[in-house]
Amino acid sequence: MIVIRKSADRGHADLGWINSYYTFSFASYYDPAHMGFRALRVINEDRIEGGRGFGAHAHRDMEILTYVLDGGLTHRDSMGQVQTFGANTIQSMSAGTGVIHSEFNASEDEAGHFLQIWIEPAIPDAEPSYQQISFEPREKRGRFRLLAAPHGSNHDGAVTINQDALVYASVLGAGETLQRKLEPGRHAWVQVARGNVSMNGEALAEGDGASVSGEQDLSFTGGPDGGEFLFFDLA
Amino acid sequence: MQDINTLVTFSSRTGATEKLALAAALGAVQAKSNIRLRWLRENVDSQTVAGVAGWRENRNRMAREYIAPREIDFLWADVLVVGMPARDGASSPQLKIYLDALSALQAAGKLQGKVATAFTVDSALVSLCSVFDGLDLILVPPEAAAGADALESARLHGRKVTEVARDLKHA
Repeated sequence: MIVIRKSADRGHADLGWINSYYTFSFASYYDPAHMGFRALRVINEDRIEGGRGFGAHAHRDMEILTYVLDGGLTHRDSMGQVQTFGANTIQSMSAGTGVIHSEFNASEDEAGHFLQIWIEPAIPDAEPSYQQISFEPREKRGRFRLLAAPHGSNHDGAVTINQDALVYASVLGAGETLQRKLEPGRHAWVQVARGNVSMNGEALAEGDGASVSGEQDLSFTGGPDGGEFLFFDLA
Repeated sequence: MQDINTLVTFSSRTGATEKLALAAALGAVQAKSNIRLRWLRENVDSQTVAGVAGWRENRNRMAREYIAPREIDFLWADVLVVGMPARDGASSPQLKIYLDALSALQAAGKLQGKVATAFTVDSALVSLCSVFDGLDLILVPPEAAAGADALESARLHGRKVTEVARDLKHA
């Protein structure tokens, strides 16, 4: 079964300096029908003005992934990390027993466009950690580029998280197709980051998401102008 | 169980007291407290700021990362933690603003049952705690943890204060 979550049906908050769309309940947006999917708890699409961002705040027991679509972010945290990163990078923070961090648009005057993803950890009180991996754009073109994988799964080039979840990015040109087989009992979430993509004939536009359960053969096709999507393979 | 709210307020020029504040806040988070971090900005001219290496850069950064404590922060908090540089002790203008805000709430009977503690950059045992005298607050004095440096002591103290506040809340 494929259930589509349309972009326009997401929660929305525009505070001026930040314009956010929430796929699942977050902050002031609360809908008990959209609290997450499997271990996936948050997908926020944020547009943040130049020079603005989130001041120092805490996280606990959450796997937090950040994926930049346009611009860059500067991150500082209580583990001593000060990092600036842009597109084609996956940043991961395992909050575990506790992390305090701040995130700001790395540019003083250009707006940035970011996806913030939270995945619930399989275990509480993990050791906090920070990872950041960059890759070439061609690595996600016409294929699935693994961004995040479970700890101990031996995937080079992907950040590791405390959950049985794999996260991929893929870019498809117009009409380009890509197949994916889900293992029996696995579920998936698809989130279109840019452009248009269809999955098993279902058209998905920018900001749309879709849950997949009880399906094994998935076929993706790039829309008229192509598209980029994230693919979450979930227990 | 995130049933405790901790407000960590600090003054810092070049970041040393900020690090202690973050350590205390991290300890509170580890003990499953919600936290808010607030900064007491010194009201000084740019020439004074330029006279201390690193002050301007950190001041600009902290002005982005933190706001000053507001009344709703004090009302929200179960635990008040205040950190000051050693040079300021208990007598700086920015600390006076903080204490005046607390005095107003105390007069309205709104501080009863809240737990408070303080720290400075070079000592875990400080007279700074005396600033809370007469404010209806339950003082938890900091203790130097054996074998721990200042940051580790601050983190452990952040944990301890949260646990004390939780015990009192559920007593």
